[in-house]
Amino acid sequence: MVAFRNHDASGRVSGLLLRSVLFTLLALGLIVVDKRYDQLGRIRRTLSIVVYPLELAVTSPFEGWSWLRKSVTTRDTLRADNRRLEQRLRDADFRLQRYAALQAENARLRALRNSTIGVGAKFIVGDIMDVELDALRERVLVDRGARDGVFVGQAVLDAHGVFGQVVQVDQRTCDVMLISDATAAIPVMINRNGLRTIAVGTGDPGQLKLPYLPINADVLKGDLLVTSGLGGGFPEGYPVGTIVGVNRDPVQSLADVDVRPAAALNRSRELLFVWVRRPASLPPPAKPVVVRQ
Amino acid sequence: MMRSRPVRRTPIALSALAALTIAIVPLPSVLDVLRPDFLVLVVLYWSIEAPRIGGLTLAFTAGLALDLLNGVVLGEHALALTLTAAWTTHLRLRLRVFSMLQQSLTIFALLTGYQFILFWVDGATGYPLTSMARWLAPVIDALVWPLMVGTLSRLHER
Repeated sequence: MVAFRNHDASGRVSGLLLRSVLFTLLALGLIVVDKRYDQLGRIRRTLSIVVYPLELAVTSPFEGWSWLRKSVTTRDTLRADNRRLEQRLRDADFRLQRYAALQAENARLRALRNSTIGVGAKFIVGDIMDVELDALRERVLVDRGARDGVFVGQAVLDAHGVFGQVVQVDQRTCDVMLISDATAAIPVMINRNGLRTIAVGTGDPGQLKLPYLPINADVLKGDLLVTSGLGGGFPEGYPVGTIVGVNRDPVQSLADVDVRPAAALNRSRELLFVWVRRPASLPPPAKPVVVRQ
Repeated sequence: MMRSRPVRRTPIALSALAALTIAIVPLPSVLDVLRPDFLVLVVLYWSIEAPRIGGLTLAFTAGLALDLLNGVVLGEHALALTLTAAWTTHLRLRLRVFSMLQQSLTIFALLTGYQFILFWVDGATGYPLTSMARWLAPVIDALVWPLMVGTLSRLHER
């Protein structure tokens, strides 16, 4: 590879081969270390502080615009909003009336069965930042990071259901993989009959699939899917989606089940990061579940 | 070609920063798949035009920045961009005398290699991407290349 040492009018590029080999080895080393050993977390967090201003610079005009729009809303809009929210609060209060009693009853029943999983969850709220990550992956950047105690594998919800899982934590931000990402999978349970299975993402934010149900499984259109809490990554009993289509092809041994996610995957702005209190006997939460296709 | 060196660092740094910013500005998802990899094109342009200043170091740093912003395994884009930039630098004397069409075709070939390295690292680290949209990127980048050359050459010939 002597040809790499070029002499020409613009001066020669000395040692191009040497330098490219050096940088290549460095990059390969980084990949291996980052993948195999979780040693790079601190380095990555330090480096991410360098790109954080850039992310902030990109997201701030959008935030400024939405602040401006909020501050010039008319009195009528505010009153309409207020009326709507009061209505919703009243509805929610009605439903909450029995909550305390049910919670106590639930705790009593759980005590009878010696099971305490999923009781008492702590959470914080984070905002999605207006920063585009990889166009081909279902991921969002959220303004909560290691500073706030967010960890890799943590469950993320929105107001309607399960949203995703934290895959990358930086100092002030984190990446959340949506449950609709093509590599995401989440342990679920059909609320009607307790049938457990796994929901996988399709890469389309409006659709999940249940690929592992046998053709004679008891699933119906309209069934609600909730998290089963198995695997330890997600808290138990949160809505994941509704079954919108069951396709039973007699030739296949598995049914083709389509699910519409409960969470507003491409509309939500505010997300909930959940901490599940778990008994000491359970292992720590698994890293993000990834299916190989 | 080799005039005052310190002056030429500024346009390189500025163009790379601008490209990095454009890379993360939110767009509707339809347009998002069509967004060219401006940073990669900028790096390749400087590896042809000023390989001693804007060469492999720039490529490695830019790749690392892409890794951090995309939240993928550290070193993925750095590896792909280093190799692509090294190959471009190696070809740069031929690239300079090429017509714009030939240049675009060469860029297309180089960027297909770039995407292939990304594809391979994605698979090897356990986050395989099955979407075919990835292979659209080299085509778009090759189409944008003449525009890129036009803009950047004005920047540094000033």
